[in-house]
Amino acid sequence: MLKLNRRLFLAGTAAFVATPAMSFAQAAAPVKGGTLKVSIDQAASVIHPLLTRVNPEYLITELLYSNLTRLKVDMSAEPDLAESWNSNEALTEWTFKLRSGVKFHDDSAFTATDVVETFKAILNKDNASPARNNVGPIDTITAADPLTVIFKLSGAYADFPVALAYTTARIIPAAVATGDFKQLSTKANGTGPFKLVSYEPDRLIVVERNPNYYDPARPYLDRIEIQVFPDTSAEGSALIAGDIDLISTLQPTEYLRLDGSDGLDLLRVASGQFCNINFGCDTKPFNDVRVRKALALAVDRKAMVDFVTEGFGTPGNDTPINASYRFAAKLTQREANIAEAKKLLADAGYPNGFEATLVASDRPAVRTQLAVALKDMAKEIGVTINVQTMPHATYLEQVWKKGSFYVGFYNMQPTVDGIFKLLYTSDASWNETRWNNAAFDKLVNEARGTKDEAKRTALYADAQKLMNDEVPSIIPAFFDVLGAKRNWVQGYEIHPRASVFRLDYVSLTAEAPKRG
Amino acid sequence: MSPNYILKRIALIFYTLLVVSLIVFAITQILPADAAVMMLGENATDQALDALRQRMGLNDPVWMQYAHWLIGIVQGNFGTSLRTGQPVGPVMFEALGRSLLLALLSITFMLILAIPLGIIAAIRRGRVADMLVSLISYVGVSLPEFVTATVAVLLFADWLKWLPPTGYVPLTENFGSAIAHLTLPVFVISIILIAHVSRMVRSELIDVLHADYIRSARLKGLSGSSVLMGHALRNALLPTITIVALDVGYLLGGVIVVEEIFAIPGIGRQLIVAIQARDLPAIQAGVLIMAATYSIVNFLADMLYAALDKRIQYD
Amino acid sequence: MTEFLKRLLRTPQGAIGVAIVGLVLLVVIIGPWVAPHDPESLAPLQRYKGSSLTYLLGTDQYGRDIFSRLLIGARATVIMAMLATLAGTVVGALIGTTSAFLGGRADEAIMRTIDAVMSIPSLLFALLVVNLLGSSIVNALVAVAVAFAPGMARITRSVALSVRKQDYINAAIARGESARFVIVREMLPNVIAPIIVEMTIRVSFAVMLFATLSFLGLGAQPPAAEWGLMVSEARRYMHLSAGILIWPSIAIALVAIGFNLLGDGLRDALNPRA
Repeated sequence: MLKLNRRLFLAGTAAFVATPAMSFAQAAAPVKGGTLKVSIDQAASVIHPLLTRVNPEYLITELLYSNLTRLKVDMSAEPDLAESWNSNEALTEWTFKLRSGVKFHDDSAFTATDVVETFKAILNKDNASPARNNVGPIDTITAADPLTVIFKLSGAYADFPVALAYTTARIIPAAVATGDFKQLSTKANGTGPFKLVSYEPDRLIVVERNPNYYDPARPYLDRIEIQVFPDTSAEGSALIAGDIDLISTLQPTEYLRLDGSDGLDLLRVASGQFCNINFGCDTKPFNDVRVRKALALAVDRKAMVDFVTEGFGTPGNDTPINASYRFAAKLTQREANIAEAKKLLADAGYPNGFEATLVASDRPAVRTQLAVALKDMAKEIGVTINVQTMPHATYLEQVWKKGSFYVGFYNMQPTVDGIFKLLYTSDASWNETRWNNAAFDKLVNEARGTKDEAKRTALYADAQKLMNDEVPSIIPAFFDVLGAKRNWVQGYEIHPRASVFRLDYVSLTAEAPKRG
Repeated sequence: MSPNYILKRIALIFYTLLVVSLIVFAITQILPADAAVMMLGENATDQALDALRQRMGLNDPVWMQYAHWLIGIVQGNFGTSLRTGQPVGPVMFEALGRSLLLALLSITFMLILAIPLGIIAAIRRGRVADMLVSLISYVGVSLPEFVTATVAVLLFADWLKWLPPTGYVPLTENFGSAIAHLTLPVFVISIILIAHVSRMVRSELIDVLHADYIRSARLKGLSGSSVLMGHALRNALLPTITIVALDVGYLLGGVIVVEEIFAIPGIGRQLIVAIQARDLPAIQAGVLIMAATYSIVNFLADMLYAALDKRIQYD
Repeated sequence: MTEFLKRLLRTPQGAIGVAIVGLVLLVVIIGPWVAPHDPESLAPLQRYKGSSLTYLLGTDQYGRDIFSRLLIGARATVIMAMLATLAGTVVGALIGTTSAFLGGRADEAIMRTIDAVMSIPSLLFALLVVNLLGSSIVNALVAVAVAFAPGMARITRSVALSVRKQDYINAAIARGESARFVIVREMLPNVIAPIIVEMTIRVSFAVMLFATLSFLGLGAQPPAAEWGLMVSEARRYMHLSAGILIWPSIAIALVAIGFNLLGDGLRDALNPRA
């Protein structure tokens, strides 16, 4: 039943996205060849597949490397380097069968040893890979034979195959994993559909077809050029001019501008990507749940969707889970209630409100928009908010995970477990709210080891209810993921995860300009 | 122009670089950023950070770090980017090349427009043409580059579709397309320069036309236009060399914004990226290279000026 | 004084400059009282409106009245630019006159160092300073002042040098007055006129430099109505409503033109050689 619901939901979004021109184009079989020009909105400073941090970087390593599994548009896992997998009844031991005859770009053969050493490198604290906290509770990993690996987990984990599709869990050669780990910062050696031709972090990254890719049909394109556009308005102009074929991440304002231009397809999918106001739940005055709730009640969520997403989004309910996720619970939508908020503040000992500084980094710009809008809404309940913006690097260094009142921005994760364990449990990778709620932790840990769908649904529903009650962070709005392409680009599906692109399925039609 | 003078000017360039290196090193020392954290990212453990700090010499006394840095530069090693792990020097010099191309084209374009405008304004002093040139130059110097750039892209790329909006194509890749992509940035950078230099030419020319030797030339019976061409223009244009050289400083600052908007991977954009990412070695190298460029251009301009103007004695 | 004013108003630059700067200063003083709307209150239903009787210049991306924001932002924009210029000038003038007074090797050393500092483009210098101090309008002020100081030092020095040759300075030195007395009481007043001209022109640079810093996210903090910040925020919405971008741009340009004209007018009035 649940599966059916999910499919219905996705079918709905697909219909929403597809324009007549697109469905017509997709009817044609993909033709091989051609060069695709893709834009990214910030520099790809890091191309080490285990160390990347932002969407443009994920786009590049996804072209050059493969994971064991791959994330489909419906957020389920499909085979990549692993052909099939199964687990024991307790969900603590997982066996993956690997594809045979796969080669790295340097022609060396891919075997189970590469997988084992890659994961050892991921789990090695000294390498500081973000994947370490996101690939699940791996205890040991062994190669049973050259094409079989066995993962033993320290706890039951139902979503393990999906977790292995994580953006920084790409498979690298064992020789690199055990030797000069850093060498992949400037060159690439993976099993992905494309090979690296040139890499200029701030300008242009070029890849070409890997003729030895394991799927003889893909990729369709000969070459992909990824161009860096620091200015989003310039990026939109370049698409209109036909200088680029595809914008990987589009801002709502640019969507409105490009919509209706000749020769363009605008892409949109509902997603769990969100902006939030993080509270340091261990710091005055935010350690009082009444204060947090009062601020949450000050937010006019419909206006917020307008201000920060230009209408390309949905209201949030102070949990990171929305209808785009499996296991989303049906909670009553929180509405603005100034009287109730004022009462809560008075009960908490702030009858005249208080003053606080809200930090917003300058990237992406919606953080500042959210902060400015909250400042105005909080006025109504007597809370004075001073907005402080800062360069993103300074924010990461001084405020992120340390501050007690700042704006966060996060991609949708493949699973409910993924987002909870990333941000909200007390053992989360980035436990920025320091909510440290034992009941919540228990629910999440129990759910990740539960196979029974109904039971799991109930556990996650309780977790979401708890979070909605305690408001460790205000989540006022979710963003749709937006993109735009020339209509000669076909086979591109915009992914709600926002960090998955699957450009090996993309091809060009006969109308595409011929590029040497 | 004595060899002594040239030597002194060259020594000055080195002094300049020394001062700039001290300033930029001091700034990067105080900048709120931890180089080790920048390199390893947010997921690094304390042990890993300590090991890296030791390896990078971040625990050494400050003067020692400065000395190591200077010695490295003398050997042609500007350090390694904290952001990308690539050597900073080659990246910055390649970027400088692109910025210089942009600057050179802008100066050429500017001279082609600014000198005639200045001459017209001077000859037609007080008339409509003069007023018009004045108006253009006042508006020109009063608009920040990011405003003119935005308007130019809207007008010439989005609406008229004459030119590509942004992006950078290397000259070697496709010459025509490269020039097309450079046209709008060159135009935007030139606006303020045109305004500045045409005013300069105008006032220099007016001064010169009032000078005694022009009057005497006129008295000798030389016709108006040959006087203008022969004496006045030459003497009026000489100071423009110095002005243009000094404007290179403005140019290098102005390209920062223009390169950011037009996605040109020049040294200005490299510096912005470096500053935003707190990439300390890249900031140090970038500022030093910019200052060096400015000093050398001014040195060359002085030499050119001296060579052209026999009246000035340099010692 | 009236003689001087007459001369100033007789030149077209001076007359227009005085008019524009006068208007701007008037807005700075009375702006907050005459603004018809709250510059910071958001109105979800009034976003991206064009010009109308209620909203003279339309509304911005938050539904705020652009006209009111311009009126109120004049203080943040113009006063900051003037203060920054003033601060830069004071520091520069002190260095410049001191250097000129000391003369000889000390002068040489100071000026070479100033030249060296000037080889860093002022925008870049300001960028570095703001990054050092953190982005806020006060720090941007410091940055602009620091960026202006070397240039002002150079100008004051050259003016002071020509003044130094005058007899009354030599007389003061001969009287055995202290160095401080000579600099402050005799030299500074005589270098002030040309410096005022330079300052006036520099205010327009400062307005633009502030705007550029805001464009790069390093100046005023939202939701301040500082004009440069307004333009830089508007760039993302310009395709939805051009007015958000155009009006503050015009305001910046107008102030810059005004101070430029006034500076040129002052120069002509103070130095009636041409």
